[in-house]
Amino acid sequence: MSIQPGITGLVGANGAGKSTLVKVLLGLVEPTDGSATVFGHDVVRERVAISALVGYMPEHDCLPPDMSATEFVSWLARCSGLPANAARERAAEVLRHVGLFEERYRPMGGYSTGMAQRVKLAQALVHDPRLLILDEPTNGLDPAGREEMLALIQRTGREFGISVLVSSHLLGELERICEGFVLIENGRLVRAERLGTLTGETGTLLIEVDGDATAFTAQLVQRGVAALQERERVLVSIAADSGDDGLRAVCDVIRDTAAAEDVGLLRLERRRGHLEDLFLGDA
Amino acid sequence: MTAPSTRVAPNGASRNDAADDTAIHDLGYRRYDGPRVGAVGAWRALYWQGLRTMFGIGRSAKAKVVPVFVILVSMLPAAAMVLAFSLSKGVQPIRYGAMIGGQLILFVLFIAAQAPELLSRDQQHRVLPLLLTREVSRTSYASARLLAMFTALFVAALAPLLLAYIGEIGTAIDPVAAFGSMGTRIGPILAIATLTAIMMSGVASALAVWTPRRAYATAAIIGAFLVAAAIATGLDDLAGVGMRTAEMLDPIRALRTLALVLFGETNRGMEMNPPAAIGFYVALEVGLGALGAFIMHWRLRRVVV
Repeated sequence: MSIQPGITGLVGANGAGKSTLVKVLLGLVEPTDGSATVFGHDVVRERVAISALVGYMPEHDCLPPDMSATEFVSWLARCSGLPANAARERAAEVLRHVGLFEERYRPMGGYSTGMAQRVKLAQALVHDPRLLILDEPTNGLDPAGREEMLALIQRTGREFGISVLVSSHLLGELERICEGFVLIENGRLVRAERLGTLTGETGTLLIEVDGDATAFTAQLVQRGVAALQERERVLVSIAADSGDDGLRAVCDVIRDTAAAEDVGLLRLERRRGHLEDLFLGDA
Repeated sequence: MTAPSTRVAPNGASRNDAADDTAIHDLGYRRYDGPRVGAVGAWRALYWQGLRTMFGIGRSAKAKVVPVFVILVSMLPAAAMVLAFSLSKGVQPIRYGAMIGGQLILFVLFIAAQAPELLSRDQQHRVLPLLLTREVSRTSYASARLLAMFTALFVAALAPLLLAYIGEIGTAIDPVAAFGSMGTRIGPILAIATLTAIMMSGVASALAVWTPRRAYATAAIIGAFLVAAAIATGLDDLAGVGMRTAEMLDPIRALRTLALVLFGETNRGMEMNPPAAIGFYVALEVGLGALGAFIMHWRLRRVVV
């Protein structure tokens, strides 16, 4: 199997082998069986060629507490073969890119988890790799921190042409930012696919109402709409060949029905496919 | 290195707009297409960082305590000897061998405190995976760390000898004549500093590489030298194994004897018990250093990151 450029999610339960796969790709662990190549370079024999092309953000803590972020990142840049001056400049640039400003001169021992994760991302980016391998980048972050980290990853991957392989056990996260995904279970690769069409818009409208959903659904059916109640939500199927006009007509009916039944429309959107559905369908 | 001005920043404004504006713009991520110096540059960065760490440079005040203490305390006897030499107008000779022999335990303290800073810390804070996914192989990591330790020890051992040497020539009534008569002494000075550094860096790195816990590593290094000395002395006193065997067991004692031999000095024990050939001691110290380096490398090749 091969992983395409773009942002790819590496999914699996804890202990499924995500980190091991990552370490094999980085040449930190030799595969017990089989082989792998990164940009056409064999991970066992051509590790050095890969090192310039790949940036690695490990899952675990890796920041010496008495070093400042600036010192640490520029030192690692030099360990990637950048000259001393360029290393300093790059370190300042990537730290700013990940959103670390004055704090970067302080010893890293006093950093919050969010800041530490940013430094870890910065050190993976400092030598300008073509591929970022991020192992559980949102681990330990609060919801706001998660959002920021995901946005940062998405921006880095989309706008700067750097491919990203990001592992997580949280499907929802990956679903939002990834273009493809790889599923691992018990050390075995289960499937690898592009996401685009799979989680694209489906022919279903999702409606949430404030009021009597059952009566509302019944009214919709009476007016000739293929409506179906699912718990508190109402799902409306639209014929695949109806086009934009058909969709608009259905929406008008829904609006009129809501007005007639005196229920409030809380939500009206086209339903998107979910990664979870795919995996559940698999099992 | 700087991106062309046509590149668009993530906020949609081009570089030129950003420059014209007084507002701060997020320039986002920029590519690096400058020079890369590869594995050689990476090795140099590792070596320099190691050497600076050995002396506590760029580290907290706490990390500087042991290196500063060792350097200062080892310089004091050298300074005192130079003072005595000049005040007595050369009657009181500077005993290089005896001086450096007495200071070896200071260097043991130095390497015991600092070797774990280089080897254990990278394992403790799990920096190794970051290094090994860069232009750093396990072998180049081992060699950069070992050479940094060797250099620091060499400098530490050389400093008091060099102070005494320069002091002796400088305070002589006729420095030129003094240099003519003792200029060759620089040979033994370099030799003893080199052998001290080889043996101690080898032994210390072989021990420190096994644990991510710095305190354990420090204890192991001091313990190893103490136990070796205790066993050698015990066997010498009780079993009467003889000087040679005792020196083979205790590399510090062997260094002490070698220092006296190299500088042409003697102590009471040596008069009764003539020392072995210089080659014996050199082989002993270099062999021990090489064994240590081999063990360290062996371990680093296998350590799981």
